[in-house]
This record gives sequence, structure tokens and C-alpha cells, in this order.
Amino acid sequence: MGIKNTSQQWGWLSKVLHWLTALIIFLQIPLGFYAESLRLSPLKMDMFVWHKSLGMLVFLLLVIRLLWRIKGTIPQSLSASGAQKCISQAAHWLLYGLMAVLPISGWIISSAANIPIKLFWLIPLPAIVGPDESLKSVAAELHHISVLVLVAVLILHIGAALRHHLLMQDNTMRRMWF
Amino acid sequence: MVLIRYLIASFRVKQIICTASLLCLLIPPPTWATSWRSDIQASQLNFAPSYEGLPINGDFKEFAVIYTTDQEGEPEDLSVSVLVASADLGNSELNTEIRAAKWFNITAFPEAKFSCQEFTTDNNGKVFAHGELQIKGYKKPVTVPFSWRLLTTGEAVMRGELMLARNSFSIGSDEWASGDQIGLAVKVWFDVVLNPINPSL
Repeated sequence: MGIKNTSQQWGWLSKVLHWLTALIIFLQIPLGFYAESLRLSPLKMDMFVWHKSLGMLVFLLLVIRLLWRIKGTIPQSLSASGAQKCISQAAHWLLYGLMAVLPISGWIISSAANIPIKLFWLIPLPAIVGPDESLKSVAAELHHISVLVLVAVLILHIGAALRHHLLMQDNTMRRMWF
Repeated sequence: MVLIRYLIASFRVKQIICTASLLCLLIPPPTWATSWRSDIQASQLNFAPSYEGLPINGDFKEFAVIYTTDQEGEPEDLSVSVLVASADLGNSELNTEIRAAKWFNITAFPEAKFSCQEFTTDNNGKVFAHGELQIKGYKKPVTVPFSWRLLTTGEAVMRGELMLARNSFSIGSDEWASGDQIGLAVKVWFDVVLNPINPSL
């Protein structure tokens, strides 16, 4: 298995990026809701350090994925109609969009709330905006809506992958595995 | 006789006037102390606790500074009062938290005070106010360094910066006491514009 994608197969870099992103997102969603539910405490602050750090890591992985995708190619869709291809493409680009909107809106929430960010307790991230309660509320609303949309699109994404694997019995899901 | 008495009386009056005049020369001139009061609209009192080593900038919206200088412009008295409930960290959740008992406990201790009558200056003209800071019922000796500059407009500007240890005043107790996340050192800095109050003898 090479590093590069081909028209038939995903390269190992794309696979690593995909599964690493998937793992982080599955941690991130419950972590975010849990951290938010806590009263202000050192535990809450630690949970948010993890949430913000992993969120920015998803964003970094997204940038690498997009650069890799633009630079190379991706495998062709298997046994899908034109409409399915369209839906599949839209869902993938929506996922990419959400992987950008969520960390950036989170960054805005933190900055507008006047809370400094130190990724993994090591890397300081500058404030993207100044303290602003109303902007914080708008960004928080966007963040919450985005995560609900993300959950919906992930259900669609996983459902479609399982449909390919179990019902259509094609190579779509298998070729993303190692 | 009348003329003689008049001349004697006149001579005595002149003697008294002359003596009084001489005495006046010997008495030092009156000392003109000047008191200054902060202009809250033009002044700032900032503070910055740290979170994971990074500052969270905030300020106190309501405070008053009264500063008295002697005839030579030397410091005599400095009195600062701060309405702790006016603390603003730019975040409603944090603002609620710092008003609670674990932090400033504003219900029991709504005001912080600094008072000082002992001053030193360095070669650069920086003033060091060696006074007492009272926060949350604790009184601690604190030295506040500041520069003092008279403006052509008749106002004066007092600027300074210091670090305070929040644990000295039991600010941030219990789970926050360690300083692991919210650091123990808090930066305080101020830029205060003062107007002279009517000079008094």
C-alpha cells in the first residue's frame, strides 16, 4: 500500500487521516457536551483544554487532507447512481466544512469569552477576536447547530458506508481500511 | 498735650507695624498641600490573573484615588478605594464566579482599599508607596511603584504596575488554591488621570 491515492484505492496517508479524524470526532462530541455540563471548576477547564486541543487538531488534519486531496486524486465511486454520487459528494464536503466551522467557531467562543487557549497545555493560540459577549453567544449558537448537523451527516456517512458494505457488498468501506 | 500724645501713639503704631513686618519675614511661608482626585472616566485600573500562564485581562470599573502632595510636590498621602463588584473579566460566567465567596466574596467584602503615608523615590523619579492593602478582610503590606507626571492641562497622570499574590488575600480558595490553572500571581496595572482638588493651607 503506497502513500498516494489511486483511482481504485486510498493511500495510507488518506486512511490514517480519515481514521484519526474519525476517532477524534467521536471523542470530541461527548467531551464537548460533558465539559459544558460541568460547573466552572478546574476539571471543567481541563476538559475544555482537551476539547479545544483536539478540535484544533481536527482542523489541522483537515488542512492536510484537503491539501493532499487537491495535490493528488481520490478513488472513483463504486456502484452508485448519479444522484447518490451527488449526495455522497455533498455530504463529504459538508463534513469538511463542519470540520472547519466547528474549531473556528470554538476558537471565536473562547476568544470572545476572554479565555486564553493553550493547546495541550503547551502551545498558546492567539485570540482571534476581542472579548465580546454578543459575539460569543452567536458563535456558541453556530457551534451547537454545527455539531447537531455534524451528528446527522455522520449518521448518513456511516449508514451509507454500511449500506455499501452490507447491502451492495462492494469495496467502498473495505478500501478505506488497512 | 494732645499733640504730644498723638505723636507718641503714632510712633508706637509705627513701631508695632515695623515689628510685625519684621516678624512676618522671619515666619516661613505657608505650606500649600495639593490633593488630587482621580477622573474615573479617563482612568483605568486593570488586573490580569493568568490561566495556564496566559493572561485573562480584566479591569475594575469603579475606583477612586486621592493623592496628596506637599508644597514641593512630594507625596504625602495616597488613598485608593476599589469597588470589587465592578470587576470585569469580559466574561459573564467568570464575572459571576469571581464575585463568589471562594474568590472576592463581594457580599461580605465589597470594597478593597490601599492607604499609604510612606513614600520613597528612586533616581528616575519613580515613586514607591509603601502602604497597606486591604482585600477580603486581609491587610497586607504592599509597595506600589508608580510614575507621576504633571500635564500642561493642569491634570496629572499616575501610572504603575505591580504583581500581587492572590493567595495572600485568600482569593481563589479550595479547588482553586493550588494555582495550577489559575496562577497565584496577578498582574495589576493602572493609568490614572487626576485633577487637583482646591488647594488648602
